[in-house]
Amino acid sequence: MASVSIDNVAKFYGNHQVIHGIDIDIADGEFVTLVGPSGCGKSTLLRMIAGLEEISDGDIRIGDRLVNDVPPKERDIAMVFQNYALYPHMTVAQNMGFALKLKGESRAAIDARVKEAAAILALEPYLDRLPKQLSGGQRQRVAMGRAIVRSPQVFLFDEPLSNLDAKLRVQMRAEIKDLHQRLGTTTVYVTHDQIEAMTMADRIVVMKGGVVEQIGRPLELYDRPNNLFVATFIGSPAMNLLKGKAGDGGFVTEGGVVLPLPATATAGAATYGIRPEHLTLDETGFRAEVVVIEPTGAETQVLARCGGQTLVAVLRERVDLNPGDSIGLKPELSAVHLFAEDGRRL
Amino acid sequence: MSDLALSSRKPAASLNGYRVVQSISVFVIALVVVSPLFMLFIASLKDDRFQILADMGSFRAFWVDNPTFNNFREVGNFAGELAFGRYLGNSLFILGSTVSLGLVINSMAGFILAWGSLPGRALILSVIIALYVIPQESIIMPLLIIVSRAGLSDTFTAQILPFVASPLYTFLFYQFFAQLPKELYEAASIDGASIFRTWWSIFVPLSLPALATVSILMGIETWNQYLWPILITQTDYARPISVAIATFFGQDSIYWDRAMAASVMMMIPILVFYLAFQRWFISSFVGSAVKG
Repeated sequence: MASVSIDNVAKFYGNHQVIHGIDIDIADGEFVTLVGPSGCGKSTLLRMIAGLEEISDGDIRIGDRLVNDVPPKERDIAMVFQNYALYPHMTVAQNMGFALKLKGESRAAIDARVKEAAAILALEPYLDRLPKQLSGGQRQRVAMGRAIVRSPQVFLFDEPLSNLDAKLRVQMRAEIKDLHQRLGTTTVYVTHDQIEAMTMADRIVVMKGGVVEQIGRPLELYDRPNNLFVATFIGSPAMNLLKGKAGDGGFVTEGGVVLPLPATATAGAATYGIRPEHLTLDETGFRAEVVVIEPTGAETQVLARCGGQTLVAVLRERVDLNPGDSIGLKPELSAVHLFAEDGRRL
Repeated sequence: MSDLALSSRKPAASLNGYRVVQSISVFVIALVVVSPLFMLFIASLKDDRFQILADMGSFRAFWVDNPTFNNFREVGNFAGELAFGRYLGNSLFILGSTVSLGLVINSMAGFILAWGSLPGRALILSVIIALYVIPQESIIMPLLIIVSRAGLSDTFTAQILPFVASPLYTFLFYQFFAQLPKELYEAASIDGASIFRTWWSIFVPLSLPALATVSILMGIETWNQYLWPILITQTDYARPISVAIATFFGQDSIYWDRAMAASVMMMIPILVFYLAFQRWFISSFVGSAVKG
């Protein structure tokens, strides 16, 4: 195991810069998720850590070793690819043992390590099968097994669950997290799915346009997003954002609706943010018209229109509402987020 | 019977008609392709070379009254004791060597062009494609001079070496390797494989369809070489069977019967070669490399 230090790393393709001087310090044994929309540079950054992309500027260290010019095979990392990248002509056991074979390990040692990894991942019955004879989830586990047998210093995952169906994704998510807890290997995990990021990571790095928007623990990001992008990207359903102006009497939205402000509110706020679960049904709150009701069993999502803008409220209780009903919604003042004109948190 | 039942008969009838036309077309095409080969085989079983000529142009060309293998026996000893055995052996040796070396060289070149970090890769690829359009015959005289100056006249090397590297086959391998998932190459490099090991252990086993295609095309091309071996061989030492058959066409007489038998002998190995590799044309399990 080792720490990973990314220091002012930049990446250019010709004159086009895709990574803009990123700094991230990943502690030994930490599980860090790189998350962001498509094209934000998260996979490029992961590939630079792996050595599959050259670094245009800055330094990457694994442990104390500068690895900028070190080829992938000498970085002591293992990578799980989005499409698994299993060798189709090799059995599960051969796939898992290939790296050890290249290292010149004895057949007995390879067999022992492969069996050990297969036991961890419940792959023992499939060791003699070819990848094409396995299901998507089993192939994913083989890809992880191939990484585990090498006992690398760092695991790199590049959107490993995006080819699986929703149910299997939830299952594999738990398996990867469990694996990390058991092995304790430093892990860098790329995903565009914020739920994956929230549920698995010790820390999340939110990226956009080749820039780090915020680094923090999952709940830190959820509770105190640094800017509008993080506020909308983290959380599902997304945070409600209402444009307007803060004043003495409260926050007046563009549609003329007056929303209550916390006592500590700073003047100059241009956007009022409130998460859906922090809105409650209350006749003393601001008025909104119900548009859609989505009961999910555990909760009810209410889509409502207010002053020309649409809001989502997640209610714990079961409510008897119909489209067109007028309801009162009250924001929890301690959970109100205010953002400046440029998107910064106030 | 309902209207629906009546109307549903029409498409079925037209489908049957379409199938009849399709079957007849396939049969006619097959007849055109197979009949010369069948005629050749029948002629090789006829004892009288004048009869072979007389039968040409009639349906008797496809029939033999008293089949005999005499022609094959005579071919065996035509130009001396078992000379044709030697020619056949020469051809097989040239075929085996050219195809084996060709598979290695062209697949290596295709792999490097597809995945290697080669400076000027796009330019090299363009030059290779441009070379493909140059007919072999147009460079045969300079090639002859080079080979003669190198002291390789009348050798196997002269018949193998110039045809081992081919722009067409390099490009075929390039195309095949380039469409394999990039992650296979990257996974191998993270696993610690050198570029040679990646080619040998990962990409070569996955390229059986390409290997088979190149083997068949290269094998047929090598086996049918005529102009180059006739220029470069002066003795029986390295003379292939394609050139040896020409000895039946003398100035005074033409031994059609033996020429036919020798042609059948020449055809059989390449037919076996084709049958051995053709199943790989259609089979590929690369698809299982990625995704679920």
